[in-house]
Amino acid sequence: MLIKLIYKEIVHRKLNAILSLLAVTFAVAFFVSFFTANEASKRETIRLTRDMGFNLRIIPGETDMNKFWTEGYSDLTMPEDYINRFWEFKDFSFAHLTATLHKKIVWNNKEVVLTGIAPEIEPTGKKKTAMIFSIEPGTVYVGYELAKDMQIRQEDSINIFNRYFTVNKTLSETGSIDDIRIYGALSEFQDLIGFKGKINEIMALNCLCVSPGENDPLEILREQLDQVLPEAKVIMNTTIANARERQRHMLEKYFALVTTFVIIVIAVWIGALAMMNARERQKEIGILRAIGHNGREIAGLFIGKAMIIGIVSAVLGYAIGTILALKFGPGIFKITAGSIKPIYSILIWSIIAAPVFSAFAAFLPTLVAILKDPAVTLRKE
Amino acid sequence: MIHLDKVGKIFGSSTKQVEALRNIDLQVNKGEFIVIRGPSGSGKTTLLLSIGGMLQPSSGVVNIENRDIYLLSEFERTKFRAFNIGFVFQMFYLIPYLNVLENIMLSAGLGSNGTRQRKASELAEKLGISDRILHKPSELSAGERQRVALARALIHRPKIILADEPTGNLDPDNSQEVIKILKEYHQTGGTIIFVTHGKDADQYADHIFYLNKGEIT
Repeated sequence: MLIKLIYKEIVHRKLNAILSLLAVTFAVAFFVSFFTANEASKRETIRLTRDMGFNLRIIPGETDMNKFWTEGYSDLTMPEDYINRFWEFKDFSFAHLTATLHKKIVWNNKEVVLTGIAPEIEPTGKKKTAMIFSIEPGTVYVGYELAKDMQIRQEDSINIFNRYFTVNKTLSETGSIDDIRIYGALSEFQDLIGFKGKINEIMALNCLCVSPGENDPLEILREQLDQVLPEAKVIMNTTIANARERQRHMLEKYFALVTTFVIIVIAVWIGALAMMNARERQKEIGILRAIGHNGREIAGLFIGKAMIIGIVSAVLGYAIGTILALKFGPGIFKITAGSIKPIYSILIWSIIAAPVFSAFAAFLPTLVAILKDPAVTLRKE
Repeated sequence: MIHLDKVGKIFGSSTKQVEALRNIDLQVNKGEFIVIRGPSGSGKTTLLLSIGGMLQPSSGVVNIENRDIYLLSEFERTKFRAFNIGFVFQMFYLIPYLNVLENIMLSAGLGSNGTRQRKASELAEKLGISDRILHKPSELSAGERQRVALARALIHRPKIILADEPTGNLDPDNSQEVIKILKEYHQTGGTIIFVTHGKDADQYADHIFYLNKGEIT
């Protein structure tokens, strides 16, 4: 009987029901589109910030830092297999670990930096998309300035210490020492410069999961590194690290602000509609009380209506939000557009959350309507 | 059966008060047809709602079947009303989005849905509105609406019918039809309190009381 009454009332007062439905649908669509596109947004942010470079450099512990900063790399080396120690650690702040070997050489009468790069590794349970290009043996990537100066083009063959490499790509200008760098496969460059099995730096990215106000992230990193690789030390590029951290926290705060705003506006909207509905139905409430229906049953009419609207809105909002994210998301997140996909678990959460939210928003006006003396509406005096 | 002892009702704030009922003493025995007559604003509806457990008096006691109904909890009083009292109002107060059958079935204090439907159909037949059971209130005449309201009040066979100017919006023929239905209920042992400003039910009344400015005279 309750469901029938609710259904008939909804059909009878279509405008009120449609406006309530629109409010909750809008809220659900907002959250669904946000969360559906959020994965792309997160990846895009990661991509954009990672293009700023790795923010952690793990180098041999005995490195002379004066020389390090003058040369741009450590003149000491460490065994390549040190990097494998990171495999075994979980809950680790390091990610995208890459073993590298840097060496300044004179090539064709020019000073260049050879950088051998090994494929990235991730600590256990942290599978992530590779952050740096993977270099096939027999190929090299040539820095912008070097390629321009020596007129090197893609597919060219170049000779370094009597070994020929195919230029896989000439890189874009970076405005850094990377512009005079030649990147190659680590194992080949180790052979080339006589450092077989050796590296002088592990480049890494810190997840920066530590919130501001908590412990110093670098202290945490150093403590973790001490457990894994006591022979090494870690340097953090704080500019990049801070930029990443600020970006992440800014997004979190922005979303929290928008979420709060949307929730308040929609709650007031639903509350106002519920209030209007309750006022319009004062006589109905009065007569229902007169013929023996208690406050709980009458509240059920209003809260039940709000919940039914919430369920329908959840489904509609999910569909609209997903369509919006799929249609407009790729235009916003061009690089990571592929990661925008319907998230079916959000539908379940929407079906749970929207009716509860809707019922909460309608609760106060319903309570006011029920507590109002029914006799007042039934008296003519 | 119904005993009112010095019932008073005051509306408004402490600065502006309206005394709607003053020291009402009233005794209604089981099976009586009582008419309370009075002009508009005399407190008739207030009195009726107070007797029906819908409006707590400011003073005095309302006893029904030896129970002070205002000592019951709100929940118990609603339940008491559901099984013992039927209301009929001048304005009908039908639910606009329900059809005739559904409006009649709406009364609490009934059994399963099947029982409700059967009883509602029988009553609709008896009150001559069986051909209108699928119609909405807006599609009915005033007389038909009041018969639906009567059916809703009678369906659970209450012990008491409280009728608040049930003929106030009806033409003489329909008024007589409504009074006839109430009389039939009365003849089966039901108790009726009928408030009105006219004399249309006087001929059936066991007692007639006059209410003026909140006082029974």
